[in-house]
Amino acid sequence: MAAGKSYSPDLRLNRRAMLKGAAGATALAALGSTFPMPATAQETTWTLANSMRSVANPYHATFAKGGADFAKTIGAKYETLVTEGNSEKGIADIKALLQRTGGKLILNVDPNDSPDARVIVEEVKKAGGFVVTQWNKPDDLHPWDFDPNYVAHMSFDGVPTAEAIANALFAAFGGEGGIVALGGILSNVPAIERKLGLDNAIAKTNGKVKLLDFQPADWNEQKAFDITQAWITRFGDEVKGVFAANDGMGMGALEALRQNGLAGKVPVVGIDGIDAAVKAIEAGEFAGTVAWDPLWTGGMGLAIPYAHVTGKIDITKEPKEHREFYGTGIIVTKDTVANYKNNPPKTDFADLWGKSTGQIQCRS
Amino acid sequence: MRSVAINGNALAQWRKWAPLAVLLALCILISLFNSNFLTLGNFIRLLNSASIPLILGMGATFIILMGSIDLSVEGIVALTAVIASLLVANDITPYTIGLLAVPIAVITGGAMGLLNGMLHVKLRTPSFMTTLGVGFAGVGIAMAVLGGDTVRISDQTFRFLSLGRIGGIPMAVWIAAASVAIAYVIQERTRLGRWLYAIGTDEMTARHAGIPIERTRIVIFTVAGLFYGLGGVLSAAQFGQGHALISQGRLFTTITAVVVGGTALSGGVGSVLNSVIGVLIVVVLANGLVLMGIEPYVQQGVQGLLIITAVALALDRSRLDVVK
Repeated sequence: MAAGKSYSPDLRLNRRAMLKGAAGATALAALGSTFPMPATAQETTWTLANSMRSVANPYHATFAKGGADFAKTIGAKYETLVTEGNSEKGIADIKALLQRTGGKLILNVDPNDSPDARVIVEEVKKAGGFVVTQWNKPDDLHPWDFDPNYVAHMSFDGVPTAEAIANALFAAFGGEGGIVALGGILSNVPAIERKLGLDNAIAKTNGKVKLLDFQPADWNEQKAFDITQAWITRFGDEVKGVFAANDGMGMGALEALRQNGLAGKVPVVGIDGIDAAVKAIEAGEFAGTVAWDPLWTGGMGLAIPYAHVTGKIDITKEPKEHREFYGTGIIVTKDTVANYKNNPPKTDFADLWGKSTGQIQCRS
Repeated sequence: MRSVAINGNALAQWRKWAPLAVLLALCILISLFNSNFLTLGNFIRLLNSASIPLILGMGATFIILMGSIDLSVEGIVALTAVIASLLVANDITPYTIGLLAVPIAVITGGAMGLLNGMLHVKLRTPSFMTTLGVGFAGVGIAMAVLGGDTVRISDQTFRFLSLGRIGGIPMAVWIAAASVAIAYVIQERTRLGRWLYAIGTDEMTARHAGIPIERTRIVIFTVAGLFYGLGGVLSAAQFGQGHALISQGRLFTTITAVVVGGTALSGGVGSVLNSVIGVLIVVVLANGLVLMGIEPYVQQGVQGLLIITAVALALDRSRLDVVK
């Protein structure tokens, strides 16, 4: 490399050249999104897309696969968009795709943050596409206010699922004793709902189960590990079970227990249904988890709008519980794990609302 | 510690011991609230929690002593953890090379560090941006390799690196202790150690004195990468799995620990032993907040306050013309 001979002039030139290059690349990218892509052989003119945070976590990776699976059944072009946790990027990518497809876009989006949902819905309506949102949207934003383009919003109810999985934990240690609980980021809606579900379950034991301590570990495995270690010091064998608001933190807690020779002796529960948690249930170290079935949400968020555009249903005539609904979480415990593994949840794209469990409640 | 040799006054004498005093004060405070803190079991758990941050801290200390910064910690740890998990008996690849995976992962870490150093020195880009980029690349490669999956390790010999115990002390702690010893020897007994202080203190003077600045920088970044690689191996062994997000949060604790220990971000002041104290302060604090039963809502505030206090007491600013 040339560095080392003449320093600054050379360097300035390099920087300038690099800036030019970067500008050129940006211009090219902008051009690319203006011109339509060459059409590939396909059976429908609609483009399908799923948008999510990242494909680095098992939940979203499966969500993306669900979309691809559905697109394959109808021979449509399918794209995956990732926000990488950046709302601006998420919205800009969606706008670019709307432009490229001339509005003939069916979008299944897990917005990075609740307020993003409104912007996305407005953009899609303006372009004449169709959108389904997942998990995050403002409470006062409703699909029926954007007929017919805002087709539906899907979510999972954290309160009853957390309550059910907490009960599975209590059953695993005999229903009497102290537990500790790891929560998610304090301001996240799922974290709040899951804590509420846990509190409900504890209240219903009439004092038999005591919450020794609650700590937010911010969905982070490492934090969960360190906090669980400290709990072992603080409470010793008073801890009869560990409740984790997601499987990742549950795995961190399990490894801390293992370091202290307690894995399999102190049961752990989590939520999400990741593979590692299912295997830990088989090994008798986890007492349970909740599987969200992202293959279903990933595909169904496209199948419902597609049924509308092909005239199978008229979404504007569907009742509200078909426009804003909860999916089904599957409780997996040691009794049901074999069945869950042998009969993974089936997804029938023709059964549009078969797994819906009622209209969404606003809790904020 | 080095800064003291230059400043013989009372204040500097106190500063030399300030991080240790902060650590002891914390320990006393916590044990007043909860007597379980002072048990042997908790002591071992604390060391266990400290082992990976200690190893990462050794690498980061060298970089910071040189006046540079290394933000690639998480990327290198993630990539090496994933590589190690894919090479030992696991549920994705057929490889079962066992402990041979350790040197391979560590050397990969070294190669990433070498890349940091080469880009930083040869392209004359600030270490802040270079290492940030290499770190992102590390996480990105780990993500691409696994496609969002988690690889589970079934090799028990490999897991022994974290779970095994010798003399009642977890293996990870022994490995961390060995890393500290190696880092101390590099700092105190090699030319490399002396040069990095010289570069961190005043690079122009060091250059005039004939110290090979570029080469030293590249070697130090490589050495740091080796430490991060070892940290990656231990992360995989600790959790029995590898995934792209396994190192989340490691960067912040590593840099905090180094600075709380009294090593100046401006370079030239500090020591790897300071970082040992710094890591222990951060780990004891996290453990103590749970032991004392401090409300989670208040914990972060308390943590922030104590970190500022520790830095204010420990950092020797007498040789800094300006504090930026």
